[in-house]
Amino acid sequence: MSDVTTGILTALGGVGTLAASGGDAAAHAPASGGALPAASPLVLLIPLLPLLGCVLCGLCAAAGVRTKLPAWLTVACLGAAFVAALKMLGDATGGPGTHATIAHAFDWFRIEWGKGPGGVSRELVANFSFYVDTLTCLWMLFVTGLATLIGLYASEYMAGERGPGYCRFFAAFNLFVLSMSCLVMGDNLLLLYLGWEGVGLCSYLLIGYFYQKPSAVAAAKKAFIMNRIGDLGLALGIMLTFVKFGTVEYAELFERIRPFVELARHGRFDEIPFSVQLIPLLFTVGAFGKSAQLPLYVWLPDAMEGPTPVSALIHAATMVTAGVYLVARFIPFYVCSDLALPVVAWVGTLTALTAATIGMAQFDIKRIMAYSTVSQLGYMFAGLGVLTSTGAAFHVFTHAFFKALLFLSCGAVMHGFGGQLDLRKLSGVRKMPGWGIVGVCMLVGCLNLSGFPLLTSGFFSKDMILAQAFTTPGFAAIGWILLLTAGLTAYYTFRVYFRVFEGPSQFEPGDEAHAHADPGDQAHAHAPAGHAHGGHEHGHGQGHGDGHFHPHAPGWAINTVLAVLAVCSTAAIGAYFIDRDHHGWVGRMVDSSTAAWEAPGAGHSGAHAEPPAETGHGAAPGTFLGMDPHAVMYYVSAVVALVGIGAAWWLHLAGRTAAATSRADGLLAAAGPVARGAQGKWFVDEVYDALVVTPLWVLAHVFHLLDKLLIDGLVNLAGWVPRGAGRTASTGQNGLLHSYALGMAGGLAIVLVVALFMVKN
Amino acid sequence: MSAILAQADYPALMSAPTLFHYLVVSAFMFGLGLVGFLTRRNLIIMFLCTELMFQAAGLALVAFSRFHLNHTGETFVIFVLTVAAAEAAMALALVVLLFRRKETLDAERWEEMRG
Amino acid sequence: MGPLINPWLLYGLCAVGAAGVALALPRRGVSPQVVGAGVGGAGLLGVFAALGVSNAAHLPNLHFYLFSAIALGSALRVITHPRPVYAALFFVLTILASCGLYIVLGAEFMGFALVIVYAGAILITYLFVIMLATQAPTADRVDALSEYDRVSREPLVATIVGFLMVGALTGMMARGVGTIPAPAPGADPRAGLLMMLPGKVERELRERALIGRDDVILTASDGLPAMDLAARTVRVGSPGGAEQRTAPIPADVRVSNVEGLAFELIANHPGAIEIAGVILLMAMLGAVVLARKKVDLDEHERPAAFGPGGGHP
Repeated sequence: MSDVTTGILTALGGVGTLAASGGDAAAHAPASGGALPAASPLVLLIPLLPLLGCVLCGLCAAAGVRTKLPAWLTVACLGAAFVAALKMLGDATGGPGTHATIAHAFDWFRIEWGKGPGGVSRELVANFSFYVDTLTCLWMLFVTGLATLIGLYASEYMAGERGPGYCRFFAAFNLFVLSMSCLVMGDNLLLLYLGWEGVGLCSYLLIGYFYQKPSAVAAAKKAFIMNRIGDLGLALGIMLTFVKFGTVEYAELFERIRPFVELARHGRFDEIPFSVQLIPLLFTVGAFGKSAQLPLYVWLPDAMEGPTPVSALIHAATMVTAGVYLVARFIPFYVCSDLALPVVAWVGTLTALTAATIGMAQFDIKRIMAYSTVSQLGYMFAGLGVLTSTGAAFHVFTHAFFKALLFLSCGAVMHGFGGQLDLRKLSGVRKMPGWGIVGVCMLVGCLNLSGFPLLTSGFFSKDMILAQAFTTPGFAAIGWILLLTAGLTAYYTFRVYFRVFEGPSQFEPGDEAHAHADPGDQAHAHAPAGHAHGGHEHGHGQGHGDGHFHPHAPGWAINTVLAVLAVCSTAAIGAYFIDRDHHGWVGRMVDSSTAAWEAPGAGHSGAHAEPPAETGHGAAPGTFLGMDPHAVMYYVSAVVALVGIGAAWWLHLAGRTAAATSRADGLLAAAGPVARGAQGKWFVDEVYDALVVTPLWVLAHVFHLLDKLLIDGLVNLAGWVPRGAGRTASTGQNGLLHSYALGMAGGLAIVLVVALFMVKN
Repeated sequence: MSAILAQADYPALMSAPTLFHYLVVSAFMFGLGLVGFLTRRNLIIMFLCTELMFQAAGLALVAFSRFHLNHTGETFVIFVLTVAAAEAAMALALVVLLFRRKETLDAERWEEMRG
Repeated sequence: MGPLINPWLLYGLCAVGAAGVALALPRRGVSPQVVGAGVGGAGLLGVFAALGVSNAAHLPNLHFYLFSAIALGSALRVITHPRPVYAALFFVLTILASCGLYIVLGAEFMGFALVIVYAGAILITYLFVIMLATQAPTADRVDALSEYDRVSREPLVATIVGFLMVGALTGMMARGVGTIPAPAPGADPRAGLLMMLPGKVERELRERALIGRDDVILTASDGLPAMDLAARTVRVGSPGGAEQRTAPIPADVRVSNVEGLAFELIANHPGAIEIAGVILLMAMLGAVVLARKKVDLDEHERPAAFGPGGGHP
């Protein structure tokens, strides 16, 4: 105890000394950053620019700006940040060899308390500095890039909100990028945690953007609370890490974990302390919360209440991959536990399957995309779990582009059709005037998601994971489940495409065309009937009062963004073929970072000749039905994807004449309870309700009653007793001088008499 | 004179029983003052009764002073006298104020001063 | 030495006194004041008689009984007289009797100071205020007096409380007074003070022609007057100290009460004197401030003050 006190005092003294020494932060930077070289200060621009954007948007709100200025400011700042990220990538990969570097912004925490054993001063150092290695670059590249593009998209999508809401949206948007950059680039766990909470907060703010809508508020709260559960795990993990390793800085941590990694490499897990093995499990809890894995995934589909750009950026492309980032970054910790990676793999796999089955039966296209996100995140975790962090990272990378593309396309549809998201009420959109680009982009996205062979990047990234699942010994079951999931994914993806974009052109506008709250259409929703929408070049200006609704085709910003994303999604194939020696461009990025625990067999052609000795089990690599997985997986997964697409075509497009009906209806009826279960999302929400929410509700009411009766009763009793006593005693306080004097004299007399008889000389 | 006032014969000692006579007188006087304070309703008489109690105390002090053959008791009576004088000045000023307000000296009329 | 008086007898006699006082207190209807005074006096008398019987060798002198009777009788009258002016005058009588008791006790200075300060100053102030605040009873009728003067409040309870205290006090004093150590016979604690008064000794000696006109009391080597108080002698001589001799100090040359008190006050209680002065000053300031305060008649007192007709005269 006294030790701790002394420590705190010393820490305070240390802070004082620091302040007195005039903040020579630069002098501390090398010490805190270990032996790592300093990175270019340009890196600091990446978090700084979103901060600037956030502040500027806030100023816009204060100044009452009602134009699209905040959007342009955001795009400018984020674009510049993207350029800085490119420069950072160039720096990180350009030089001879790739070493992590540190960019120091300022000292944040430096708490010292006394000397530990060996004269090493015990201290907690966590600086605001950024750890730049190739993994960081990879993540920041698509975070800033997508944020820029989606910001541009949102400038049009959110146009109906111009005013304070618009500023609020873009301020939170910038804040999100800032937090994400802290999360990804932080050089210590505390900064990572700050970013982790920051993105959670922004997610909450943006899901609840339409805060007048009860469902949005509920979804925001749900997301926040679900994330708290995960965050608790992460926080505990960070504390345990600090307790165990005495530092939270990556540079030090990865040095200190090395002996344990060596032990793990030789399979001597029983020599690794349990607490060290516990750290990755705790991290996993955090990752599952943030990345919406079983059992904490239910918030993500509800998070679709937020505006679509938010869904695309935060809940599809970037924030939800933070969990993947966490696991990838701390792969050395994960291999130290013989339990952590299987857990990650199995939970990821089961999540992928569950979410895919739910996605098959939903009708809300945005929700289908949300479930597909959950499913694909499951893929990524499975990839990490079967030790292909390259595959996982590659899938994160490709998924970021094509999932953003899909969401933005769905958002364009929603925007244009008055908030209509039901695939039974939309049909043949591609053939409508002005929707061509959207249709093509959607097709590209769908092909990527379903893993259409050869033409799509999704095919290759998914393939890496699948092949590795079969290769890594003991994970074949995961491979089979993932393969099944791949088929399901292809089916439900093209179910959306064939229902909404192909077939006869029919549509039914959503309620927001009449009521309100479609972010894009709000301006006219509140306008009187017959009002012309001056702000929209494709105005459906006849008003809604006369019963006509004209779809509102997307403008240049949306179309541009969609096109760029479609190109990027396809171009990401290049990342697979460049630099084949290092398992592709992404592979090189991952290999030169701390995530570089790569089974050498993870690469496809040729590389699998090396046995994956690192797994330590010494087992031979697994096979796919007796064949080399890396060799045959191309064909197998291509077939699976095509079968899925074919099924979707036959059930949902072939011979379909109306938007609402298809051949699948019969199948649904035949499937009976299974279909109903999938439609009801396997009733997970209801189960949680029954298992957690209702008992808590009852408990809360019991406590409320207890509080009311017992605690309040006691408190009131404490009030009533003196009040009664006072009322009784106050009868003596009649204001008569004589009665006071009599009381005083009588009391004195009694004391004297008592003294007379008690005191015996 | 000194023949008559035997007890004052200097520096003859005073016996304890003799001292007790004085103390009895003092106690009775104090009792009368107390009873008067408690029963009389006229503010001025009540103050007179407190003076009576002062007197009783003074008598006891002087008797003790004589018994011990020193002057401490008498010195104390001087201070009692001082306090009595100060108290009389203040109390009478207050009584005058109160009387001006209510045109009565009845202590029971001031029960609203309980606050 | 046994108890001065049987405590239960003392308590009984206190109860008798209490009954007398209770009877004497003014009340509505007939109030047997004379009977009460008699009973009370009997109780007091009983106490003194019992004391006299048990300690016949140690009695105070006659003056004590005289002054005590006057003091207590007038004190009883103070608390029973319905007319405040009379009560105040009886208080003056109590003061005078107390003064007598003081003189019997050898405290002449305090006795006269009491008369001057109390009877002369304080009581006159009381009388002023009484006259200021009381309607003068034009007729010699009891009905004309204020009701609050005529009827005492809770006489019985007050008397019981008061005499409980008297009984307890006397009982305790009776028990404790025998245990007080008396000064040793012949040892006069005040005698040493004569050393401080060489002028007085010289004057007394000169008046009695025990020393010559020009003789003075010599100063010893320690700077004090060359007096030997144990032997009651003093060295006197001519101012130059040329011729010296020893002169006796007569027995009646001694420190008087006033001198003793003066030494006691100045030598031992200078701070208390200062404080007493401050208290008096503050009391004077307070009285001045209070007297300057303008007070309006209470709202509900006004109609009564202006009579039933209300309005302005």
